Amino acid sequence: MGSKKSYGIEKKQARWGFAFVVPSLVFFSVFSFYPIINAFYTSFFDKRALSKLAPKFLGLGNYARLFNPATASNELSFLNSLKSTMVFTLGTFIPLLVISLIIAVFISNLTSNKVKKFLQIAYYCPAILSSVVAAAIWMIIFDPRGLGNQWMNTLFNTPGVDHRWLVDPVMEQVSTMVIYFWKYIGYFTILFITGLASIPPTIYEASTIDGATKWQSFWRITLPLLKPTVVLVSVMAMLQCLKTFSTQYMLYSNGAPRAPINVITFNIYVTGIQQQYLGRASAMSVVLFVLMLVLTLFQFKTTKSENVEY
Amino acid sequence: MLIQKKITLPKVLIAIVLIGMLAFTLMPLLFMITASMMTSSQIVRMPFKWIPEGFNYTNFIKAVRGNDGTYIFLRNISNSLIVSCSVAVTTVLLAALTGYGLAKFRFRGRNTVFMMIMATMMIPFEAIMIPLYMVVMMLRIQNTYIGLILPFLVSAFGVFQMKQYLTTFPTEFLDAARVDGMGEFGIFARIVFPNCKPVIATLAILSFRSQWDNLLWPLLVSQKDQMKTIPQYISNFALERSTDEGAMMAAALIASIPMFLLFMSLTKYFIGGSAVYESRKG
Repeated sequence: MGSKKSYGIEKKQARWGFAFVVPSLVFFSVFSFYPIINAFYTSFFDKRALSKLAPKFLGLGNYARLFNPATASNELSFLNSLKSTMVFTLGTFIPLLVISLIIAVFISNLTSNKVKKFLQIAYYCPAILSSVVAAAIWMIIFDPRGLGNQWMNTLFNTPGVDHRWLVDPVMEQVSTMVIYFWKYIGYFTILFITGLASIPPTIYEASTIDGATKWQSFWRITLPLLKPTVVLVSVMAMLQCLKTFSTQYMLYSNGAPRAPINVITFNIYVTGIQQQYLGRASAMSVVLFVLMLVLTLFQFKTTKSENVEY
Repeated sequence: MLIQKKITLPKVLIAIVLIGMLAFTLMPLLFMITASMMTSSQIVRMPFKWIPEGFNYTNFIKAVRGNDGTYIFLRNISNSLIVSCSVAVTTVLLAALTGYGLAKFRFRGRNTVFMMIMATMMIPFEAIMIPLYMVVMMLRIQNTYIGLILPFLVSAFGVFQMKQYLTTFPTEFLDAARVDGMGEFGIFARIVFPNCKPVIATLAILSFRSQWDNLLWPLLVSQKDQMKTIPQYISNFALERSTDEGAMMAAALIASIPMFLLFMSLTKYFIGGSAVYESRKG
Protein backbone atom coordinates (compact mmCIF):
# COMPACT_ATOMS: atom_id res chain seq x y z
CA MET A 1 0.00 0.00 0.00
CA GLY A 2 2.61 2.51 1.12
CA SER A 3 4.81 1.93 -1.85
CA LYS A 4 1.92 2.23 -4.24
CA LYS A 5 0.88 5.55 -2.75
CA SER A 6 4.36 7.09 -3.00
CA TYR A 7 4.51 5.86 -6.58
CA GLY A 8 1.32 7.82 -7.23
CA ILE A 9 2.80 10.97 -5.72
CA GLU A 10 5.91 10.58 -7.81
CA LYS A 11 3.82 10.26 -10.94
CA LYS A 12 1.83 13.33 -10.03
CA GLN A 13 5.05 15.21 -9.37
CA ALA A 14 6.45 14.16 -12.73
CA ARG A 15 3.33 15.49 -14.42
CA TRP A 16 3.65 18.85 -12.69
CA GLY A 17 7.32 19.10 -13.59
CA PHE A 18 6.51 18.41 -17.21
CA ALA A 19 3.69 20.94 -17.15
CA PHE A 20 6.08 23.63 -15.92
CA VAL A 21 8.50 22.90 -18.74
CA VAL A 22 6.02 22.59 -21.61
CA PRO A 23 5.49 26.33 -22.38
CA SER A 24 9.20 26.94 -22.94
CA LEU A 25 9.57 23.70 -24.84
CA VAL A 26 6.82 24.72 -27.25
CA PHE A 27 8.36 28.18 -27.58
CA PHE A 28 11.84 26.91 -28.40
CA SER A 29 10.47 24.37 -30.85
CA VAL A 30 8.50 26.98 -32.77
CA PHE A 31 10.94 29.91 -32.57
CA SER A 32 14.36 28.21 -32.60
CA PHE A 33 14.31 24.65 -33.94
CA TYR A 34 11.64 25.05 -36.60
CA PRO A 35 13.26 28.22 -38.06
CA ILE A 36 16.75 26.74 -38.27
CA ILE A 37 15.42 23.61 -39.97
CA ASN A 38 13.34 25.81 -42.23
CA ALA A 39 16.44 27.87 -43.07
CA PHE A 40 18.22 24.71 -44.23
CA TYR A 41 15.14 23.62 -46.20
CA THR A 42 14.51 27.01 -47.85
CA SER A 43 18.16 27.35 -48.81
CA PHE A 44 17.62 24.59 -51.42
CA PHE A 45 14.82 26.51 -53.17
CA ASP A 46 14.48 29.60 -55.28
CA LYS A 47 11.95 31.10 -52.89
CA ARG A 48 10.76 34.69 -53.34
CA ALA A 49 8.51 36.50 -50.90
CA LEU A 50 5.95 37.90 -53.30
CA SER A 51 5.80 35.06 -55.82
CA LYS A 52 2.62 33.00 -55.86
CA LEU A 53 4.23 30.13 -57.77
CA ALA A 54 5.62 27.12 -55.92
CA PRO A 55 9.35 27.73 -55.35
CA LYS A 56 11.68 25.89 -57.71
CA PHE A 57 14.04 23.27 -56.26
CA LEU A 58 17.64 24.28 -56.84
CA GLY A 59 19.55 21.71 -54.85
CA LEU A 60 22.83 23.31 -53.90
CA GLY A 61 22.28 26.02 -56.50
CA ASN A 62 22.03 28.84 -53.96
CA TYR A 63 25.29 27.77 -52.31
CA ALA A 64 27.03 27.40 -55.67
CA ARG A 65 25.95 30.91 -56.50
CA LEU A 66 27.19 32.31 -53.18
CA PHE A 67 30.61 30.71 -53.49
CA ASN A 68 30.99 31.16 -57.25
CA PRO A 69 34.53 32.57 -57.70
CA ALA A 70 33.32 34.54 -60.73
CA THR A 71 31.27 36.78 -58.40
CA ALA A 72 34.38 37.90 -56.49
CA SER A 73 34.72 40.90 -58.77
CA ASN A 74 31.22 42.07 -57.84
CA GLU A 75 31.81 44.18 -54.78
CA LEU A 76 28.39 43.41 -53.25
CA SER A 77 28.74 39.62 -53.64
CA PHE A 78 28.61 37.16 -50.76
CA LEU A 79 32.30 36.35 -51.13
CA ASN A 80 33.08 39.99 -50.47
CA SER A 81 30.65 39.93 -47.53
CA LEU A 82 32.63 37.04 -46.07
CA LYS A 83 35.80 39.03 -46.61
CA SER A 84 34.50 42.21 -44.99
CA THR A 85 33.10 40.20 -42.07
CA MET A 86 36.50 38.55 -41.55
CA VAL A 87 38.29 41.90 -41.79
CA PHE A 88 35.88 43.43 -39.31
CA THR A 89 36.05 40.46 -36.92
CA LEU A 90 39.85 40.22 -36.86
CA GLY A 91 40.32 43.98 -36.81
CA THR A 92 37.96 44.35 -33.87
CA PHE A 93 38.51 41.32 -31.69
CA ILE A 94 42.32 41.33 -31.64
CA PRO A 95 42.61 44.93 -30.36
CA LEU A 96 39.69 44.30 -27.99
CA LEU A 97 41.36 41.20 -26.57
CA VAL A 98 44.87 42.65 -26.20
CA ILE A 99 43.91 46.07 -24.88
CA SER A 100 41.20 44.87 -22.51
CA LEU A 101 43.69 42.37 -21.05
CA ILE A 102 46.33 45.07 -20.55
CA ILE A 103 43.82 47.47 -19.00
CA ALA A 104 42.46 44.74 -16.72
CA VAL A 105 45.97 43.85 -15.48
CA PHE A 106 46.71 47.55 -14.84
CA ILE A 107 43.43 48.05 -12.97
CA SER A 108 43.91 44.89 -10.89
CA ASN A 109 47.33 46.17 -9.76
CA LEU A 110 45.95 49.48 -8.50
CA THR A 111 45.94 49.86 -4.73
CA SER A 112 42.91 52.08 -4.23
CA ASN A 113 39.60 50.21 -4.40
CA LYS A 114 37.69 53.42 -5.09
CA VAL A 115 39.77 54.18 -8.19
CA LYS A 116 39.38 50.56 -9.33
CA LYS A 117 35.61 50.73 -9.06
CA PHE A 118 35.39 54.17 -10.69
CA LEU A 119 37.48 53.09 -13.68
CA GLN A 120 35.44 49.92 -14.19
CA ILE A 121 32.17 51.85 -14.19
CA ALA A 122 33.55 54.61 -16.43
CA TYR A 123 34.96 52.17 -18.98
CA TYR A 124 31.67 50.26 -18.96
CA CYS A 125 29.53 53.37 -19.68
CA PRO A 126 29.59 53.14 -23.52
CA ALA A 127 28.23 49.58 -23.29
CA ILE A 128 24.90 50.76 -21.89
CA LEU A 129 24.16 52.87 -24.97
CA SER A 130 22.34 51.13 -27.78
CA SER A 131 24.42 50.34 -30.87
CA VAL A 132 22.40 52.81 -32.89
CA VAL A 133 23.15 55.66 -30.49
CA ALA A 134 26.84 54.72 -30.43
CA ALA A 135 26.98 54.80 -34.22
CA ALA A 136 25.09 58.12 -34.32
CA ILE A 137 27.60 59.78 -31.97
CA TRP A 138 30.61 58.56 -33.91
CA MET A 139 29.10 59.49 -37.27
CA ILE A 140 29.19 63.13 -36.18
CA ILE A 141 32.69 62.75 -34.72
CA PHE A 142 33.81 61.33 -38.08
CA ASP A 143 32.33 64.27 -39.99
CA PRO A 144 35.02 65.91 -42.19
CA ARG A 145 34.94 68.96 -39.90
CA GLY A 146 34.31 66.86 -36.79
CA LEU A 147 36.30 65.87 -33.73
CA GLY A 148 37.83 62.75 -35.31
CA ASN A 149 39.95 64.74 -37.72
CA GLN A 150 40.75 67.33 -35.06
CA TRP A 151 41.98 64.67 -32.61
CA MET A 152 44.04 62.82 -35.21
CA ASN A 153 45.60 66.02 -36.49
CA THR A 154 46.53 67.14 -32.97
CA LEU A 155 47.98 63.71 -32.09
CA PHE A 156 50.07 63.37 -35.24
CA ASN A 157 50.67 67.09 -35.79
CA THR A 158 49.18 67.09 -39.30
CA PRO A 159 46.99 70.22 -39.42
CA GLY A 160 44.19 70.39 -41.92
CA VAL A 161 44.25 66.76 -43.13
CA ASP A 162 40.89 65.08 -43.78
CA HIS A 163 41.10 61.37 -42.99
CA ARG A 164 37.95 60.58 -45.01
CA TRP A 165 36.56 58.40 -42.19
CA LEU A 166 33.26 57.57 -43.81
CA VAL A 167 34.27 57.85 -47.47
CA ASP A 168 37.47 55.91 -48.04
CA PRO A 169 36.77 52.12 -48.13
CA VAL A 170 39.56 51.19 -45.71
CA MET A 171 38.87 54.08 -43.35
CA GLU A 172 35.18 53.15 -43.35
CA GLN A 173 36.06 49.68 -42.10
CA VAL A 174 38.38 51.23 -39.51
CA SER A 175 35.53 53.50 -38.39
CA THR A 176 33.20 50.56 -37.76
CA MET A 177 35.98 48.87 -35.78
CA VAL A 178 36.56 51.99 -33.67
CA ILE A 179 32.84 52.25 -32.87
CA TYR A 180 32.65 48.59 -31.88
CA PHE A 181 35.88 48.73 -29.91
CA TRP A 182 34.64 51.78 -28.03
CA LYS A 183 31.35 50.14 -27.15
CA TYR A 184 32.74 46.83 -25.89
CA ILE A 185 36.15 47.62 -24.36
CA GLY A 186 34.72 48.12 -20.84
CA TYR A 187 32.66 44.98 -21.03
CA PHE A 188 35.63 42.77 -21.90
CA THR A 189 37.87 44.55 -19.40
CA ILE A 190 35.43 43.57 -16.66
CA LEU A 191 35.41 39.95 -17.85
CA PHE A 192 39.21 39.89 -17.54
CA ILE A 193 39.16 41.58 -14.13
CA THR A 194 36.81 38.83 -12.93
CA GLY A 195 39.20 36.22 -14.35
CA LEU A 196 42.22 37.86 -12.73
CA ALA A 197 40.48 38.03 -9.36
CA SER A 198 40.12 34.24 -9.36
CA ILE A 199 43.92 33.74 -9.37
CA PRO A 200 44.93 33.26 -5.74
CA PRO A 201 47.28 36.05 -4.52
CA THR A 202 49.44 33.51 -2.66
CA ILE A 203 50.95 32.44 -5.99
CA TYR A 204 52.15 35.99 -6.61
CA GLU A 205 53.48 36.25 -3.06
CA ALA A 206 55.46 33.05 -3.57
CA SER A 207 56.91 34.28 -6.86
CA THR A 208 57.83 37.67 -5.33
CA ILE A 209 59.70 35.88 -2.55
CA ASP A 210 61.50 33.87 -5.22
CA GLY A 211 62.60 37.16 -6.75
CA ALA A 212 60.39 37.32 -9.84
CA THR A 213 59.73 40.74 -11.36
CA LYS A 214 56.20 41.87 -12.22
CA TRP A 215 56.98 41.41 -15.91
CA GLN A 216 58.09 37.80 -15.33
CA SER A 217 55.13 36.97 -13.14
CA PHE A 218 52.75 38.30 -15.81
CA TRP A 219 54.16 36.02 -18.53
CA ARG A 220 54.82 32.99 -16.31
CA ILE A 221 51.84 33.08 -13.93
CA THR A 222 49.04 35.43 -14.98
CA LEU A 223 48.83 34.54 -18.65
CA PRO A 224 48.96 30.72 -18.33
CA LEU A 225 46.41 30.71 -15.49
CA LEU A 226 44.21 33.14 -17.39
CA LYS A 227 44.14 30.99 -20.52
CA PRO A 228 40.54 29.74 -20.03
CA THR A 229 39.32 33.34 -19.70
CA VAL A 230 41.33 34.35 -22.76
CA VAL A 231 39.75 31.56 -24.82
CA LEU A 232 36.28 32.39 -23.53
CA VAL A 233 36.63 36.12 -24.16
CA SER A 234 38.13 35.73 -27.62
CA VAL A 235 35.44 33.32 -28.81
CA MET A 236 32.72 35.52 -27.32
CA ALA A 237 34.18 38.61 -28.98
CA MET A 238 34.45 36.80 -32.31
CA LEU A 239 30.84 35.57 -32.15
CA GLN A 240 29.73 39.08 -31.25
CA CYS A 241 31.64 40.55 -34.21
CA LEU A 242 30.22 37.99 -36.65
CA LYS A 243 26.71 39.14 -35.71
CA THR A 244 27.35 42.86 -36.15
CA PHE A 245 24.61 44.73 -37.98
CA SER A 246 23.44 48.01 -36.41
CA THR A 247 26.71 49.91 -36.80
CA GLN A 248 27.04 49.04 -40.48
CA TYR A 249 23.37 49.76 -41.14
CA MET A 250 23.64 53.19 -39.51
CA LEU A 251 26.73 54.22 -41.47
CA TYR A 252 25.08 53.06 -44.68
CA SER A 253 21.89 55.01 -43.84
CA ASN A 254 24.06 58.06 -43.34
CA GLY A 255 25.33 57.78 -46.91
CA ALA A 256 28.57 55.82 -46.52
CA PRO A 257 29.33 53.37 -49.37
CA ARG A 258 27.91 49.88 -48.73
CA ALA A 259 30.52 47.56 -50.25
CA PRO A 260 33.30 47.80 -47.60
CA ILE A 261 30.85 47.28 -44.70
CA ASN A 262 28.51 44.78 -46.39
CA VAL A 263 28.91 42.18 -43.61
CA ILE A 264 27.04 38.84 -43.72
CA THR A 265 24.07 39.96 -41.59
CA PHE A 266 23.71 43.11 -43.66
CA ASN A 267 23.79 41.06 -46.85
CA ILE A 268 21.14 38.69 -45.45
CA TYR A 269 18.95 41.68 -44.64
CA VAL A 270 19.31 43.30 -48.06
CA THR A 271 18.95 40.05 -50.03
CA GLY A 272 16.11 38.56 -47.99
CA ILE A 273 14.07 41.55 -46.92
CA GLN A 274 14.72 44.33 -49.42
CA GLN A 275 15.21 42.19 -52.56
CA GLN A 276 12.93 39.37 -51.29
CA TYR A 277 15.23 36.49 -52.37
CA LEU A 278 14.37 34.34 -49.34
CA GLY A 279 16.07 31.17 -50.61
CA ARG A 280 19.38 32.88 -51.26
CA ALA A 281 19.23 34.74 -47.92
CA SER A 282 18.52 31.42 -46.16
CA ALA A 283 21.65 29.92 -47.69
CA MET A 284 23.62 32.88 -46.33
CA SER A 285 22.00 32.31 -42.90
CA VAL A 286 23.07 28.67 -42.96
CA VAL A 287 26.67 29.68 -43.72
CA LEU A 288 26.59 32.16 -40.82
CA PHE A 289 25.10 29.49 -38.53
CA VAL A 290 27.77 26.95 -39.43
CA LEU A 291 30.56 29.50 -38.93
CA MET A 292 29.30 30.38 -35.46
CA LEU A 293 28.62 26.76 -34.56
CA VAL A 294 32.20 25.78 -35.34
CA LEU A 295 33.48 28.60 -33.12
CA THR A 296 31.14 27.66 -30.26
CA LEU A 297 32.09 23.98 -30.41
CA PHE A 298 35.75 24.98 -30.43
CA GLN A 299 35.13 27.01 -27.29
CA PHE A 300 33.34 24.11 -25.55
CA LYS A 301 36.17 21.77 -26.43
CA THR A 302 38.98 24.00 -25.21
CA THR A 303 37.25 25.12 -22.01
CA LYS A 304 36.32 21.55 -21.12
CA SER A 305 39.78 20.06 -21.59
CA GLU A 306 41.48 22.82 -19.66
CA ASN A 307 39.90 22.94 -16.26
CA VAL A 308 42.71 24.65 -14.40
CA GLU A 309 43.30 23.75 -10.80
CA TYR A 310 45.36 26.01 -8.63
CA MET B 1 55.21 51.33 2.58
CA LEU B 2 57.92 53.60 1.27
CA ILE B 3 58.38 51.39 -1.78
CA GLN B 4 54.72 51.64 -2.63
CA LYS B 5 54.69 55.42 -2.64
CA LYS B 6 57.73 55.85 -4.86
CA ILE B 7 56.83 57.18 -8.30
CA THR B 8 58.47 55.00 -10.94
CA LEU B 9 58.42 55.08 -14.72
CA PRO B 10 56.10 52.04 -15.09
CA LYS B 11 53.65 53.68 -12.72
CA VAL B 12 53.59 56.84 -14.79
CA LEU B 13 53.05 54.79 -17.95
CA ILE B 14 50.19 52.86 -16.34
CA ALA B 15 48.58 56.12 -15.27
CA ILE B 16 48.92 57.55 -18.78
CA VAL B 17 47.32 54.45 -20.34
CA LEU B 18 44.44 54.38 -17.87
CA ILE B 19 43.75 58.11 -18.15
CA GLY B 20 44.01 57.96 -21.95
CA MET B 21 41.49 55.14 -21.99
CA LEU B 22 39.23 57.11 -19.68
CA ALA B 23 39.31 60.04 -22.10
CA PHE B 24 38.60 57.71 -25.04
CA THR B 25 35.56 56.09 -23.40
CA LEU B 26 34.03 59.22 -21.84
CA MET B 27 34.68 61.93 -24.46
CA PRO B 28 32.11 60.65 -27.01
CA LEU B 29 29.53 60.49 -24.22
CA LEU B 30 30.29 64.06 -23.18
CA PHE B 31 30.18 64.98 -26.84
CA MET B 32 26.63 63.60 -27.13
CA ILE B 33 25.53 65.68 -24.14
CA THR B 34 27.14 68.97 -25.18
CA ALA B 35 26.26 68.55 -28.86
CA SER B 36 22.60 68.06 -27.96
CA MET B 37 22.63 71.66 -26.70
CA MET B 38 24.39 73.19 -29.72
CA THR B 39 23.37 74.36 -33.15
CA SER B 40 24.67 72.36 -36.11
CA SER B 41 27.22 74.97 -37.08
CA GLN B 42 28.62 74.96 -33.54
CA ILE B 43 28.96 71.15 -33.56
CA VAL B 44 31.13 70.99 -36.67
CA ARG B 45 33.15 74.09 -35.85
CA MET B 46 36.93 73.87 -35.87
CA PRO B 47 38.23 73.83 -33.23
CA PHE B 48 35.37 72.28 -31.28
CA LYS B 49 34.32 74.12 -28.10
CA TRP B 50 33.29 71.72 -25.33
CA ILE B 51 31.22 74.22 -23.38
CA PRO B 52 28.00 75.10 -25.22
CA GLU B 53 27.17 78.79 -25.53
CA GLY B 54 23.81 78.74 -23.84
CA PHE B 55 21.27 75.95 -23.85
CA ASN B 56 19.83 75.48 -27.32
CA TYR B 57 16.62 73.69 -26.35
CA THR B 58 15.20 73.77 -29.89
CA ASN B 59 17.18 70.54 -30.57
CA PHE B 60 15.04 68.67 -28.08
CA ILE B 61 11.84 70.12 -29.53
CA LYS B 62 12.99 69.08 -33.03
CA ALA B 63 13.94 65.61 -31.79
CA VAL B 64 10.49 65.04 -30.30
CA ARG B 65 8.53 66.79 -33.04
CA GLY B 66 10.35 65.07 -35.91
CA ASN B 67 11.09 66.58 -39.33
CA ASP B 68 7.49 66.29 -40.45
CA GLY B 69 5.97 67.52 -37.18
CA THR B 70 4.04 64.32 -36.44
CA TYR B 71 5.46 63.74 -32.93
CA ILE B 72 6.00 60.11 -33.95
CA PHE B 73 8.96 60.05 -31.55
CA LEU B 74 6.58 59.78 -28.60
CA ARG B 75 4.82 56.85 -30.22
CA ASN B 76 8.11 55.15 -31.11
CA ILE B 77 9.62 55.49 -27.66
CA SER B 78 6.40 54.12 -26.11
CA ASN B 79 6.59 51.19 -28.53
CA SER B 80 10.13 50.49 -27.37
CA LEU B 81 9.04 50.71 -23.72
CA ILE B 82 6.07 48.39 -24.30
CA VAL B 83 8.12 45.79 -26.18
CA SER B 84 11.11 45.88 -23.80
CA CYS B 85 8.96 45.67 -20.66
CA SER B 86 6.81 42.85 -22.07
CA VAL B 87 9.87 40.84 -23.04
CA ALA B 88 11.41 41.41 -19.60
CA VAL B 89 8.22 40.19 -17.88
CA THR B 90 7.65 37.11 -20.04
CA THR B 91 11.33 36.13 -19.91
CA VAL B 92 11.40 36.28 -16.12
CA LEU B 93 8.10 34.39 -15.68
CA LEU B 94 8.73 31.65 -18.25
CA ALA B 95 12.38 31.20 -17.29
CA ALA B 96 11.44 30.86 -13.61
CA LEU B 97 8.68 28.37 -14.38
CA THR B 98 10.90 26.25 -16.62
CA GLY B 99 13.95 26.53 -14.39
CA TYR B 100 11.85 25.40 -11.42
CA GLY B 101 10.44 22.47 -13.35
CA LEU B 102 13.91 21.37 -14.41
CA ALA B 103 15.55 21.90 -11.01
CA LYS B 104 13.02 20.43 -8.59
CA PHE B 105 11.01 17.75 -10.42
CA ARG B 106 11.97 14.34 -11.71
CA PHE B 107 10.31 13.27 -14.90
CA ARG B 108 11.23 11.21 -17.89
CA GLY B 109 13.09 13.18 -20.54
CA ARG B 110 14.12 15.93 -18.13
CA ASN B 111 17.74 15.89 -19.23
CA THR B 112 16.76 15.76 -22.88
CA VAL B 113 14.56 18.82 -22.43
CA PHE B 114 17.37 20.65 -20.67
CA MET B 115 19.93 19.77 -23.34
CA MET B 116 17.50 20.85 -26.07
CA ILE B 117 16.98 24.24 -24.46
CA MET B 118 20.73 24.67 -24.01
CA ALA B 119 21.28 23.75 -27.66
CA THR B 120 19.17 26.73 -28.77
CA MET B 121 21.94 28.96 -27.41
CA MET B 122 23.97 27.90 -30.42
CA ILE B 123 21.34 29.19 -32.86
CA PRO B 124 22.02 32.89 -33.37
CA PHE B 125 19.02 35.11 -34.02
CA GLU B 126 20.71 36.51 -37.14
CA ALA B 127 20.70 33.04 -38.72
CA ILE B 128 16.98 32.43 -38.20
CA MET B 129 15.58 35.88 -38.85
CA ILE B 130 14.60 35.05 -42.44
CA PRO B 131 12.51 31.97 -41.46
CA LEU B 132 11.06 33.96 -38.53
CA TYR B 133 10.14 36.70 -40.97
CA MET B 134 8.31 34.07 -43.07
CA VAL B 135 6.43 32.92 -39.94
CA VAL B 136 5.42 36.52 -39.22
CA MET B 137 4.17 36.96 -42.78
CA MET B 138 2.26 33.69 -42.59
CA LEU B 139 0.59 34.67 -39.31
CA ARG B 140 -0.04 38.20 -40.66
CA ILE B 141 1.37 39.85 -37.56
CA GLN B 142 3.58 42.42 -39.25
CA ASN B 143 3.26 45.84 -37.63
CA THR B 144 1.88 44.47 -34.37
CA TYR B 145 3.26 44.28 -30.84
CA ILE B 146 2.75 40.51 -30.93
CA GLY B 147 5.04 40.31 -33.96
CA LEU B 148 7.71 42.39 -32.22
CA ILE B 149 7.57 40.41 -28.97
CA LEU B 150 6.87 36.82 -29.98
CA PRO B 151 10.38 35.59 -30.96
CA PHE B 152 11.84 36.84 -27.64
CA LEU B 153 9.36 35.48 -25.08
CA VAL B 154 12.03 33.56 -23.16
CA SER B 155 15.76 32.97 -23.51
CA ALA B 156 17.73 29.78 -23.03
CA PHE B 157 20.19 31.69 -20.90
CA GLY B 158 17.37 32.78 -18.61
CA VAL B 159 16.22 29.18 -18.15
CA PHE B 160 19.81 28.15 -17.42
CA GLN B 161 20.27 30.90 -14.80
CA MET B 162 16.99 30.08 -13.07
CA LYS B 163 17.75 26.37 -13.00
CA GLN B 164 21.21 26.95 -11.53
CA TYR B 165 19.79 29.25 -8.88
CA LEU B 166 16.86 27.03 -7.93
CA THR B 167 18.90 23.82 -7.69
CA THR B 168 20.21 25.11 -4.35
CA PHE B 169 16.74 26.11 -3.15
CA PRO B 170 15.92 24.02 -0.01
CA THR B 171 13.47 21.23 -0.94
CA GLU B 172 12.21 21.04 2.68
CA PHE B 173 10.30 24.32 2.17
CA LEU B 174 8.50 22.84 -0.81
CA ASP B 175 7.67 19.61 1.05
CA ALA B 176 6.42 21.56 4.07
CA ALA B 177 4.11 23.57 1.83
CA ARG B 178 2.86 20.35 0.20
CA VAL B 179 2.10 18.85 3.61
CA ASP B 180 0.13 22.01 4.41
CA GLY B 181 -1.95 21.28 1.34
CA MET B 182 -0.70 24.02 -0.97
CA GLY B 183 -1.13 23.37 -4.70
CA GLU B 184 1.93 22.98 -6.92
CA PHE B 185 1.26 26.18 -8.80
CA GLY B 186 0.66 28.05 -5.55
CA ILE B 187 4.02 26.81 -4.27
CA PHE B 188 5.69 28.23 -7.37
CA ALA B 189 3.87 31.54 -7.27
CA ARG B 190 4.04 32.18 -3.53
CA ILE B 191 7.23 30.46 -2.35
CA VAL B 192 9.64 29.86 -5.22
CA PHE B 193 9.16 32.92 -7.42
CA PRO B 194 9.42 35.56 -4.66
CA ASN B 195 12.70 33.98 -3.58
CA CYS B 196 14.52 34.37 -6.91
CA LYS B 197 14.93 38.15 -6.66
CA PRO B 198 18.62 38.41 -7.68
CA VAL B 199 18.14 36.31 -10.82
CA ILE B 200 14.89 38.12 -11.62
CA ALA B 201 16.67 41.49 -11.48
CA THR B 202 19.55 40.33 -13.67
CA LEU B 203 17.30 38.70 -16.25
CA ALA B 204 14.84 41.59 -16.36
CA ILE B 205 17.62 44.11 -16.99
CA LEU B 206 19.31 42.00 -19.66
CA SER B 207 16.14 41.27 -21.60
CA PHE B 208 14.90 44.86 -21.35
CA ARG B 209 18.23 46.07 -22.61
CA SER B 210 18.52 43.65 -25.52
CA GLN B 211 15.12 44.79 -26.82
CA TRP B 212 15.84 48.47 -26.23
CA ASP B 213 18.90 47.96 -28.43
CA ASN B 214 17.19 45.77 -31.04
CA LEU B 215 17.21 47.27 -34.52
CA LEU B 216 17.23 44.25 -36.81
CA TRP B 217 13.93 42.58 -35.87
CA PRO B 218 11.82 45.79 -35.84
CA LEU B 219 13.29 46.59 -39.27
CA LEU B 220 11.82 43.30 -40.50
CA VAL B 221 8.47 43.49 -38.71
CA SER B 222 7.53 47.19 -38.49
CA GLN B 223 7.16 49.03 -41.74
CA LYS B 224 4.45 51.41 -40.51
CA ASP B 225 5.77 54.52 -38.75
CA GLN B 226 3.35 54.01 -35.86
CA MET B 227 4.86 50.62 -35.03
CA LYS B 228 8.54 51.55 -35.29
CA THR B 229 10.82 51.47 -32.25
CA ILE B 230 13.35 53.98 -30.99
CA PRO B 231 16.45 52.51 -32.74
CA GLN B 232 14.54 52.77 -36.02
CA TYR B 233 13.61 56.37 -35.23
CA ILE B 234 17.26 57.30 -34.70
CA SER B 235 18.43 55.48 -37.82
CA ASN B 236 15.75 57.34 -39.82
CA PHE B 237 17.30 60.56 -38.57
CA ALA B 238 20.53 59.46 -40.23
CA LEU B 239 18.65 58.51 -43.39
CA GLU B 240 17.07 61.94 -43.84
CA ARG B 241 20.13 63.92 -44.72
CA SER B 242 18.42 67.25 -44.06
CA THR B 243 18.33 66.55 -40.33
CA ASP B 244 20.69 68.54 -38.22
CA GLU B 245 23.24 66.93 -35.91
CA GLY B 246 22.08 68.72 -32.77
CA ALA B 247 18.57 67.29 -32.98
CA MET B 248 19.98 63.84 -33.69
CA MET B 249 22.13 63.99 -30.54
CA ALA B 250 19.12 65.23 -28.57
CA ALA B 251 17.10 62.23 -29.76
CA ALA B 252 20.01 59.90 -28.94
CA LEU B 253 20.32 61.42 -25.47
CA ILE B 254 16.60 61.02 -24.71
CA ALA B 255 16.73 57.43 -25.99
CA SER B 256 19.62 56.68 -23.63
CA ILE B 257 17.97 58.02 -20.49
CA PRO B 258 16.09 54.82 -19.48
CA MET B 259 19.26 52.72 -19.71
CA PHE B 260 21.27 55.34 -17.81
CA LEU B 261 18.70 55.41 -15.02
CA LEU B 262 18.73 51.61 -14.80
CA PHE B 263 22.53 51.55 -14.83
CA MET B 264 22.86 54.18 -12.11
CA SER B 265 20.37 52.49 -9.78
CA LEU B 266 21.39 48.85 -10.41
CA THR B 267 25.08 49.03 -11.32
CA LYS B 268 26.00 45.74 -9.68
CA TYR B 269 23.53 43.74 -11.77
CA PHE B 270 24.99 45.22 -14.95
CA ILE B 271 28.60 44.61 -14.10
CA GLY B 272 28.09 41.23 -12.48
CA GLY B 273 25.33 39.74 -14.55
CA SER B 274 26.17 40.86 -18.05
CA ALA B 275 29.14 38.51 -18.25
CA VAL B 276 27.96 35.49 -20.19
CA TYR B 277 24.67 36.71 -21.51
CA GLU B 278 25.40 39.05 -24.33
CA SER B 279 27.51 36.65 -26.28
CA ARG B 280 24.60 34.24 -26.37
CA LYS B 281 21.75 36.45 -27.34
CA GLY B 282 22.47 40.05 -28.10
